[in-house]
Amino acid sequence: MTGSGAKTLRWLLPAALVLPVVLLLASLNLGVYHIPLGEVWRTLAGVFSPGGTASGTPAADILFRIRLPRLLLAMFGGAALAVSGASLQAIFKNPLVFEFSLGINFGSAFGAALSLVFLGRALPPQLSAFAFGVLAVGLVLFIAGKSISQIVPVLLAGIIVSALFQALLSLVEFVANPYALQALIFWLLGSLAQATWADLRVTLPVVGFGVAALYGFRWRLNVLSLGDEEARALGVNVKWERILVIAVATLIVAAVTAVAGVISWVGLIVPHLVRMAAGADNRKVVPLSAGFGASLLIVADDVARGVASFEIPIGILTSVVGLPFFILLLRKSRRIWQ
Amino acid sequence: MNVRAGGLVFTYEDFRLDIPDLTLAAGCLTSIVGPNGAGKSTFLKCAAGVLAVPRGTLFVAGRDLAGLRGRDRARLVGYVPQEPAFTFNYAVLDFVLTGRAAFIPAFSSPSSHDLKLAEESLHYVGLDGFADRTLLDLSSGERRLALIARALAQESDILLLDEPTSFLDPRHEVETLALCRRLADERAKTIIVTLHNLEMAVKYSDAMVFMKGGRVLASGPPAEVLSEALLRTVYDMDMKIVECAGHIFFVK
Amino acid sequence: MKASPRTVWTALAVAAALALPVAPAVSDQVARSVILDNLDRRVEVPERVERIISLEPEITRLIVALGAGGKLVGVDYFLKTQDRVFPLVFPSARTLPVVSFQGQFPNFEEIIRLRPDLVFSSPSEFEWTQSLQQKIRTPVAALASLGKFANLLEETAVLGRILGRADRARELALYFEAATHGVGRNSLPGPRVYLSFWGSLLRTPVDYEPVEAAGGRNCAAGLLPASLGSAAATVQVEQIIRWNPDIILIQGNYPPGERAVTVEDVLSDSRLASVRAVKERRVYYTFGFWYWWDPALVVVETAYLASLFHPAEFPGFDLDRAGRAAFGKFYGSAAAFSALAEALKCHDWVRR
Repeated sequence: MTGSGAKTLRWLLPAALVLPVVLLLASLNLGVYHIPLGEVWRTLAGVFSPGGTASGTPAADILFRIRLPRLLLAMFGGAALAVSGASLQAIFKNPLVFEFSLGINFGSAFGAALSLVFLGRALPPQLSAFAFGVLAVGLVLFIAGKSISQIVPVLLAGIIVSALFQALLSLVEFVANPYALQALIFWLLGSLAQATWADLRVTLPVVGFGVAALYGFRWRLNVLSLGDEEARALGVNVKWERILVIAVATLIVAAVTAVAGVISWVGLIVPHLVRMAAGADNRKVVPLSAGFGASLLIVADDVARGVASFEIPIGILTSVVGLPFFILLLRKSRRIWQ
Repeated sequence: MNVRAGGLVFTYEDFRLDIPDLTLAAGCLTSIVGPNGAGKSTFLKCAAGVLAVPRGTLFVAGRDLAGLRGRDRARLVGYVPQEPAFTFNYAVLDFVLTGRAAFIPAFSSPSSHDLKLAEESLHYVGLDGFADRTLLDLSSGERRLALIARALAQESDILLLDEPTSFLDPRHEVETLALCRRLADERAKTIIVTLHNLEMAVKYSDAMVFMKGGRVLASGPPAEVLSEALLRTVYDMDMKIVECAGHIFFVK
Repeated sequence: MKASPRTVWTALAVAAALALPVAPAVSDQVARSVILDNLDRRVEVPERVERIISLEPEITRLIVALGAGGKLVGVDYFLKTQDRVFPLVFPSARTLPVVSFQGQFPNFEEIIRLRPDLVFSSPSEFEWTQSLQQKIRTPVAALASLGKFANLLEETAVLGRILGRADRARELALYFEAATHGVGRNSLPGPRVYLSFWGSLLRTPVDYEPVEAAGGRNCAAGLLPASLGSAAATVQVEQIIRWNPDIILIQGNYPPGERAVTVEDVLSDSRLASVRAVKERRVYYTFGFWYWWDPALVVVETAYLASLFHPAEFPGFDLDRAGRAAFGKFYGSAAAFSALAEALKCHDWVRR
């Protein structure tokens, strides 16, 4: 690793990996139903001691069936969104690209909604979410054409495609019978409240695999971010590697969206903050984004459910925090990109 | 490690590159000159694998370029574009490290060997203390050197440099070409550059190639091919060749 | 019902629109009366109303119950296509044109063509209530009971007055009050009840009077509703566990195949295992409130809930008999209840 950055890096990297775990453990104590600290630890320890059970008492139910799945989803989901944002930014040579500006969010949401409304519980919505997420990206690529590496055309294409899928979503709402509609509207707001172990059984492994794959690919992202011509001259098969990254990034975003609804801005804010602190080298940006993305979403979820007895949809929280942050970033971080 | 074009035809939009036969000798510094739009950069990009050419038209080190896998091609041919089109502000060393892409498998990271080679390349081009500086901190000339260092890290025997002296002040121009000269002499690399500055081209090249409108009008050692008639044909203007104090000048 | 983020903006827009003067009623009749609707709008209605359009099924039911069904000139999409009961209760509905689209959005042109004197809309559709009034230049009143008996009774009285059926209105009001007042009231505090309505475990009404009338206590009483014009609040699962209700009621006014939340779901939900209602298996369906209420059904529901909350006091409760009686009184069609019960499979609700 290079010289002066190494000092900051030395504590940044372990911090990024430890922080989500610490936050998760701390957040287990937060919630509408107040569980005293001592009881939390006893219940947690009770799982490991012989004869201990993980259910029966309200505390155990809440900890293991409500808070823990939720926090795990926040952790994995935050990592997934941040890493996918960082990767997409690299291969599109475009720091304003993230899952939202490629339409993946709303494409996946539409796919999941379609599945929920017309197929009910027969098929896990993650499949349809992935298919339409990929379709959305394909559409953006098609619309942006050769200008894919320029900021403005891609943003425009992303806005168009997102708007398209939002409209289609409204259509689904319109067409859905009133009974399915109720459930759908609620889901669309974006919330980790729906996380159950059944959902996580599919989502967590998929996200884990995707993030690991992108982590393995992290140095390659440096090469791809040099652009088509130079990357090709350096001997890289640009077409296939780009497809690979898009596919994996879409997969993990779709997996999260299918369970938690639309959560935006994480994939934009976190990689930017990380680059400001640690430089643009993706060998650092990817793992740091994963760690801090996970932490961010855990904190956001704490706010979403801890503030009141009802729940603030987390998608709104990340937007409310994300937008002013984004404006700030644009003004301050001219040294990160041209 | 020579570069040979045989029946190379490349078209895009309304431009057509047509080179029936051209050999750029191994271990020499060859400069390609000509007016704007002559196809110099296009030819270079074809040789670099940036633009796809049909089989049997372009050969590097005796091997068909179109038949090579990207990885193998990159180990033979290094390409230095005119301006790096970077978006992210990498540290110089990380930037040079990307030159090792042909040697590092897709899901791996650079090893200490790759790192050593990158540092050596930086040293060779004279950017020793710059490893931790970022690209935006560098001057245009220093960035150009970083690009060359990156190509060097590829360990390829053939280096293609597109207008390496453009936008540089005279001193940096000389330094860059001197570096190219050293690469050809000390490391026996085949250096192919496109240049605008005829005087520099004559001074530093072992061979020159004159191109116009996508065709090669002349190629060979400067002493053999240089003539006022050729210059008039290539550049559509009268130039006088003047020799003074051992240097050749062109008066327009 | 819509807890969407745009709620805030539309609420602000409505507030701004309300600051403007309301468009005057187009009729040139001399005497006019004023209704205060559920969106706190003062709506001037003509003294004599002959042509009515109701986009709120609750009001439509009341109009038919009051015997003024002949004044209806149009019917909304839901009643025409999804309501099994209404054709039995009011067979002439067959000939009435449909005045709204799927999704209950009103068909402005159709409404204008039918030249109503008065239009009723639903408070949960506040976005277009005011614009509808301005477009068709006819008074539009947004009325719904939102889970409260007082509202229901007032609607009945208001409608009776406007439609010239004041006597019948009084008759129905008395019947309603007698049937619901004091049912299940006794000295012991009743069971604490959590209601899961609108297809989600986490959505609950902040007001649902049948529960109180039947002698129970709604856990969610006092919470703020999620949006203007609705009675729905969204809670977290932890909140339900914290309340630890004695009974959980699930909205069953859906055909069995379309229920998003079922009794089986709740009983097998491992997160709720510690809740008393789940442990004692006191999880039942009830009719519930959607964005409208059928007044006859409210009577039945109150009696049904009383039998659930205080089984010792109402041992011989017969759902079918209660239903047929209520529907017979309101609509003159006991068979309508049987049809509804058949569609909802109500008889399975207490047989376990």
